[in-house]
Amino acid sequence: MTELDHRVRGVDHVAFPTFDPAATVRFYRDVLGFPVVHSICAAGWGPEDHPDFIHFFFDIGNDDRIAFFYYFGTDPSLGGPEGAKGDVHGRFGADVPEYFVRSRHLAIHVENEEDLLEYRRRLDASDWPVEMQIQHETIESIYTHDPNGYFFEITRAMRPVTPQEDLDAALTIDALLDVVAQPEPTFGKLLARKAELIVERAPGWEPVGSEPAR
Amino acid sequence: MTELYILDVPENTAVAKAAAEDPAATVGQVGPYFVISAEGPIVIDRRATGCRHAVWYSCVAGVARTGRITQHDKDALRVEPA
Repeated sequence: MTELDHRVRGVDHVAFPTFDPAATVRFYRDVLGFPVVHSICAAGWGPEDHPDFIHFFFDIGNDDRIAFFYYFGTDPSLGGPEGAKGDVHGRFGADVPEYFVRSRHLAIHVENEEDLLEYRRRLDASDWPVEMQIQHETIESIYTHDPNGYFFEITRAMRPVTPQEDLDAALTIDALLDVVAQPEPTFGKLLARKAELIVERAPGWEPVGSEPAR
Repeated sequence: MTELYILDVPENTAVAKAAAEDPAATVGQVGPYFVISAEGPIVIDRRATGCRHAVWYSCVAGVARTGRITQHDKDALRVEPA
């Protein structure tokens, strides 16, 4: 249990390289309508052979930003041989499972179903139509790949997160740490350890802000 | 004795309800979790729950060491004495 105060305030920016700034601007600014909010034009400098570059930012809401680097005079071969799967930064062979390739991704939040469907409409009218729309446990998401091959998600909560889910998350992580500290962790071992933690901690649990039992 | 724990959130209510259909199983509560217990196996029919894919495959919060999951697929969730 951490007692450290929590001071951070969300994502400032997340940054990716691009070799196709034209398509990137089309996707984020023209198709999705994310405003360009900042850019840096920099001459290459430093000890390495650093190319001249443009670092440009799109607003993804809440004053958070997605940013790209475009390096003049480079092409995708900069990052090594072309992969059978992945994107311009992360390249993978044909034998790498799709779940692993897609595991690292950015999901942008919208308030409600109406807004999710508005972005679906914008993407479907573009060169990057929605590839999947899925209702997960408590969120609903649309997915596509951006012009750089980055797996891109927009998501909405179908309901607010309940206090008991915070308890469950804490128990899961404690059980996970116990199980991965032992040889051969499995899902079955995690569920067994979690059952013990539930018996230990759940009976005395009360949602934060609730009236104490009398 | 088998014991299956399921977090009490709206998506999971149907799972606990379907478990209660089996006269051999009892459904209780510990904190914010449903506890489904039985002397023998616990079997929950997927179709009886009406749960969508993601909810069905993530509904289990814990299984007491006296039991283990022997089936969790598109048809059923089965917990049997270990």
